[in-house]
Amino acid sequence: MSSTTQAASVKHKSISYAGWGYFFIAPFILVYLTCSLLPLLSTFYNALFENYMDGLKQIGPNFVGLDNFVTLFTPRSSDGKMEIFSYTGNTMIMWVMGAVPQIVFALLLAVIFTSERMKIKGQGFFKTVIYMPNLIMASAFAMLFFQIFSAVGPINQIITANGGQAFLFFDQTWSARSIVAFINFLMWFGNTTILLMAGIMGIDQSLFEAAAIDGANSSQVFFKITIPLLMPIIIYVVITALIGGLQMFDVPQIITSGKGNPSNTTKTLVMALNGYIGLSKNYGMAGAYSFFLFVVTGALSFAVFRSTEPKKDKKKKGGKK
Amino acid sequence: MKKRIASALLASAVILSVAGCGNQPATTTAAAGTTAAANNAETTTAAADTQAADTTAAPAPASDVDNSGTTFNIRAWNEEFKGFFEKYMPGYDAAAQTLDGVKVVWTIVPSDDLAYQNALDEALQKNATASADDKVDMFLAEADYILKYTDSDYTMDISQIGVSQVDTEYQYTVSAASDANGKIKGVSFQCCPSALIYRRSIAKDVLGTDDPDQVQAALDSWDKYDAVAKTAKDKGYYMHASFAETYRVFSNNADGAWVTGGQLTMPAVIDQWTEQAKSYYDNGYIIDTCPGIWDEAKNNEMFATGKTMCFFGPAWYFNFCMGNAQDPDNGTFGDWAICKGPQGHFWGGTWILAATGTDNGDLVAKVMKAFTEDESVCENLIVNEGQFTNNKKVNEKFATDPSFGVDFLGGQNATAVFCGMTDSIKWENATIYDQACNEGYQNYIKTYINGTTTKEASLADFYSYINEKYPAVQTP
Repeated sequence: MSSTTQAASVKHKSISYAGWGYFFIAPFILVYLTCSLLPLLSTFYNALFENYMDGLKQIGPNFVGLDNFVTLFTPRSSDGKMEIFSYTGNTMIMWVMGAVPQIVFALLLAVIFTSERMKIKGQGFFKTVIYMPNLIMASAFAMLFFQIFSAVGPINQIITANGGQAFLFFDQTWSARSIVAFINFLMWFGNTTILLMAGIMGIDQSLFEAAAIDGANSSQVFFKITIPLLMPIIIYVVITALIGGLQMFDVPQIITSGKGNPSNTTKTLVMALNGYIGLSKNYGMAGAYSFFLFVVTGALSFAVFRSTEPKKDKKKKGGKK
Repeated sequence: MKKRIASALLASAVILSVAGCGNQPATTTAAAGTTAAANNAETTTAAADTQAADTTAAPAPASDVDNSGTTFNIRAWNEEFKGFFEKYMPGYDAAAQTLDGVKVVWTIVPSDDLAYQNALDEALQKNATASADDKVDMFLAEADYILKYTDSDYTMDISQIGVSQVDTEYQYTVSAASDANGKIKGVSFQCCPSALIYRRSIAKDVLGTDDPDQVQAALDSWDKYDAVAKTAKDKGYYMHASFAETYRVFSNNADGAWVTGGQLTMPAVIDQWTEQAKSYYDNGYIIDTCPGIWDEAKNNEMFATGKTMCFFGPAWYFNFCMGNAQDPDNGTFGDWAICKGPQGHFWGGTWILAATGTDNGDLVAKVMKAFTEDESVCENLIVNEGQFTNNKKVNEKFATDPSFGVDFLGGQNATAVFCGMTDSIKWENATIYDQACNEGYQNYIKTYINGTTTKEASLADFYSYINEKYPAVQTP
């Protein structure tokens, strides 16, 4: 019987579990291939065609090589501005305006909540409250802020009631961008706080105790112990926030009715992408945009990862214990 | 317990962030600030029980009218026509939401950011293969983009469904609904000459009179209008509310189309409007904190506390945009009147089109006839709703009736004024690109008008917008 021969052969060699590894990662590989790699390649393929609607008439698909990418990087003739860089700039500016305070604030909260000295009461309540904004839809948030800051909204009512002149928040670049950044900050700081708290709680408590015995003060503990040991989590938070930030869409889209007002200064990359696949169904240009977005995301993630990577010899220390 | 909450939160955080990927809503647009905002993308699918397996319905025969449908699907961009339909459509059962026993289903998508066209295009392209209950039977279209649909195979020649009597309709509404070969594809239920609507009390203060003829004499050219704007400002009033108020007056009198031969060709009047708007903004003739024509800040000017003298709009403006004026406590009911103003023009208009592939051909025809030929429906629209219908005979009956007057307009016979304006409506310059051109231009030129950018920069942004929406159109 074959089973006996198998059993016999097993006796001779040690059991190899190597094949099981592939078995366990197979679902991921399959999902990745079909849901990530394939769409990515087909996006690039689509970017090589002229394919859009002119009114109700379908134009193409005609193979045009890299023409869409050339168009993407051609400065517009009217004023020589490179649209794609302005939109990338808008996206990054609004992301930084929201993400920096988000991470700083979340770090602060995470340290406070995990502090053994403070022993905050009612933590569950606070955690729920700070996480709450994330449960509200971005579109609802955007509409709410649109109303609050509108020409006749409560903020302007307060201003005019005190003798001031109403201020059109959505007509000035700085205020429109600030509102978008603030909404993103509000929505995501709770999420970040919880991730960072999990990271801090994963740090060996004895290190904090040892530091306290050695007479380290709070800031020394924070900068010499918490931050270095939290680095892997911080990198994770930054990279995920960065990817999320590059895909910023719903808030500015709704606040500006998809137009990126004023003067396209709140128009993000994904809004432009959405513009192309909207009425004109311009899959060629949209594909080129998406591919550009992918390259930028990849490059930035790589850069963040590299710049914050601990030096080789210290690497083991930073790992989990 | 705390741990449990924290872990539940973490778990939901993971799920949310995973679900967040790639789940971006493709067309999340909100009609921010418009009156239609409350009705965002609402699909009134009243009953699921009628959605029986009907997917194998036979394709419609080419010549005969298909009437096999059990669901009457109507697409619109706001609730205006729906309201009239539910009130006045003969045979409509409001309780059961049926018309002659067929369930009426409205799909309403606001037109902001071209969302209505976008959704409609997708639905029409799928109409041939859609299940019987999902087929679009009838849809509404506005002047800015009707050509796109009439000039396509997605709309039916209405003579095929038995609608042919169009001689009581105003010619421009028929031209607008005709394709390049002269086939008529739809009917408008309203005629939309747009008037200058003014506050009587403010006109008295500024011009010394509120009599429509005398006000018209004082405002019948742009030079006179400019002069009155200055007087109004000196007396503490605004001539009109937002910078965009007079846009349609100029754009409808264009001597050329927005797009000719695949090239964006901005009509000269658009630039004239831009300079007027800029000078009004700089001179304080308008409210500099009023963001646009659909904004609440403008609508608040229609309250008794408002300081704005002039508005522009057709008959639909009274019911659709002047709700604040009709407010019983703070409103200005009766303190209004209309006259032609500096230039004749039209604004909007709602055409009813029959979708190719409809399985309720007779019902579509019945609706079209009811709102254009049925005199009692048209009379109701005029008397109860203050509309100006697309039936010459009925309009003229009221126009020549000395006892007819609109209380909202201080007893003025609005129908008579509108009848006198129908001849000055120009249609010939319409293109399929007009909605994006008109709305995009007003949106992007705003930063030039309020002084934050140069005109060149604003135009460049507008051209980008056009490139994005219409790749086939060449921009400067």
